[in-house]
This record gives sequence, structure tokens and C-alpha cells, in this order.
Amino acid sequence: MNPASAFFEESARCLKQSSLFSGLVASAIEDIVTRCRRETWKRRRQLPMEETWQRFHILLSGRVRLSRSNPESGRMITLFLLGPGEPFCIFSLLDGKAHEVMLETLDDVTLLSLPMSEARLWLDEHPEFNRKLLPYLGEQMCSLAGLASDLALHDTETRLARLILRHVDANTTDQHATPRLINDLSHEFLAEMIGSVRVVVNRQLQHWKQEGIVDAHRGHLEVEALQELARRAEEQPHKALA
Amino acid sequence: MVEENSCVAVYDNHRQAEEAVRCLLAKGFETGKLSIAGKGYQREAHPIGFYNTGDRMKFWGAQGAFWGDLWGLLLGAAFFWVSGLGTVVIAGPLVSALITALEGAAVVGGFSALGAALYSIGIPRDSIVRYETAIRSDHYLLIVHGDQREVAQAHEVLAGGDARDVTIHLS
Repeated sequence: MNPASAFFEESARCLKQSSLFSGLVASAIEDIVTRCRRETWKRRRQLPMEETWQRFHILLSGRVRLSRSNPESGRMITLFLLGPGEPFCIFSLLDGKAHEVMLETLDDVTLLSLPMSEARLWLDEHPEFNRKLLPYLGEQMCSLAGLASDLALHDTETRLARLILRHVDANTTDQHATPRLINDLSHEFLAEMIGSVRVVVNRQLQHWKQEGIVDAHRGHLEVEALQELARRAEEQPHKALA
Repeated sequence: MVEENSCVAVYDNHRQAEEAVRCLLAKGFETGKLSIAGKGYQREAHPIGFYNTGDRMKFWGAQGAFWGDLWGLLLGAAFFWVSGLGTVVIAGPLVSALITALEGAAVVGGFSALGAALYSIGIPRDSIVRYETAIRSDHYLLIVHGDQREVAQAHEVLAGGDARDVTIHLS
């Protein structure tokens, strides 16, 4: 991107505010933005990873879901839900291979994109980024491990409670909280994040609503009793977020 | 219908925009997939207008040579007074998108007619605001319409030139 572009400064600012890129010197951030091209993708754009894995992407606005599905049963599981400042195709950056994952935009998204070779070159030139990247990768691995163990070990109520808690600010002491990224998702979408189906999630949310634990209505989810939700998740809120 | 994938480049002046159009044509891009939009430059000393001679539209004004040449190269020509922007001159398939937006009363809230046309070809709201600002500031937009591969190729070409900004918009 040309530094004279009207979008350059806001792109750099978005990266500086993200947990992955914050702390990097301004010149390193400006360097990666200069190497990138800016793209916008419309909401509900679906594309397999084979079409994207040769470029590294960083979200500037909007949300992207990475999922896998079974074409025979039609069932789908969401592996990652990404928001502004987060990268995707990061596994391909590491191993140079395409992965069997479907991308879907949940909003109109704006992103930065650069060829994998450029991204690796930038990584070589800015090794200080590894101090941020490695913990981020660790979080991603923990998230996948959490999903696998939730699916194998816990019932739907626990899985749903843990999903919501993972998206609540870890520092909140209030009983009321608005989950980040997932608060406006459909029940079907929430079900696809915990390996369940819409009717089960809908029934569980209605049950919690009657108990005063959440306020859930069409396209909106709020936690009203965080401590009780943590109890349903069978752990303390801060553990669930780990 | 105009394809809802595009690569939009912003240029500081009409010479850069014209050069970019010629560069794309030299690289084999189809004329039917290129649009250009800019402000018809207005001064009291320069009357402005357009007229038809035979099968060619001619532009009459300070940038007559520029728009006359582009109207000869690209498909479609339009000259509008757009509220908030003033006179806007367009060449290429964006003209049909603008006319569709006007005829269908599909002018999207808060946008000018040009903004509605950009919205109808898949450009998101925040980018439209920037593009309208660019036009207002006497910059020029060059739009390449096409499939994902074509707009990526256009980006390769345009990013290497004088463009102030080049963005890909995918539907």
C-alpha cells in the first residue's frame, strides 16, 4: 500500500491496536502495511482455503469464520472466529501448505493481504515479532485443544457456557457482560461453534433466560449472571478464558 | 450488469489516470471493463458541456482533450451534476450502474448518486466515503471490473504505477 494512501494511516493504527502487532516499533508496522494490498470482501463470502492460502491476510474490520464441514451430513464445526487485528492463513505461513478449511465473512470485511513469500521476508527482517507471534500461536493451539476436549468431555450446556465465557473480557468483575464477537450471532451459528444444532442451543438459551443467567433474543446475547454462567461451565471465569 | 468485483485506483491528476488506462489496455485488459470518474473541472472562464458528433461524444471544457480521448477509448459516457460533488464525468460501465441507481431510485442513504453507483458494484460504505472525498478533492478514480483473477492482475499493474491508492473489492 502506498504510504500516501488515505487508508494507510488507519490500517497502521488498526495493527498498532491489535494484541498481535501492538508493541512493535512503528517502522515495522509501516513496513508490513507498505508490503500489503488492501482488500474488502462482502458479507457472506465463502471460499475454500485453496483459494487463499498463498497469501497472508490480516483483518482490519469485520469478522471471518474458519470452519470445516461434512458434505454428506451437512454438519459444520467452527474452528476459529477472528476479529480485527487477527491474521488468517497463519498455519500456511508456517508450513507452506493449504489446509482443509472454509472461510466465511460474517460482515463486510476490510483486510490487508500480502504474498506468503513477502510475509516470510517481513518475519525474517523483524524477528522481534516472534515474541508476539509465538504466544498467539500458543493461544490458537489452546483454543483448538479446548474445542476438542469440550466436544469429547462435556455436555451441550457446559460447552455453550464455556464458549460464551471465552468471549467475555477476562478482567470484568461485573455480573453483566457482553460477549465479544459472538453477541449478535444466530443460534445456528453458535451451535456450529460447539458441535451442536440450533434447536438445542435455542432451548438452552431460553432455559438460561428464564433463570436470569443470560438475556438472549433474536441476534443479541448478553450475560446477566456471570458467576452462575461460570458455575455452569464447571470452572471459574478466568480459567475458562485461559 | 457490472461485475461486482473491482479494483479501484485513485490518481492525483488526469494525466496519471489516462496513462494507467492506456497501460491496462496495452496489457490486454478489455475496454468494456474499465471505468473512470472525476470531477468536471469548473471555472467561470471555462464553459463546460458535451455534445455528440456522429458516433462520438465530445467534451467541451478545460479538460476536453482528456475526456474526449477517454470517451473514445471506453464504453459509455456520462456527465452529471451530483449534489455535494458538482459536475462529475464518468466513462465506462460505471455509467450504467449510475443510471440504474438513479432510475431504480436505489440511492442509498447518505450517498450521492455516484456513491450509490459504487455501492451497486459491491464497494462497501466506508470506502465509498473515501472515494467521494477523493473526487471532491479533484482526484480521479479508475475502476477495473472483473472476476477475482482479473482484478488481482489489475492490482499488480496499477500498484506499480502512480496511483495514490489501489484497493481490491470482492463480492
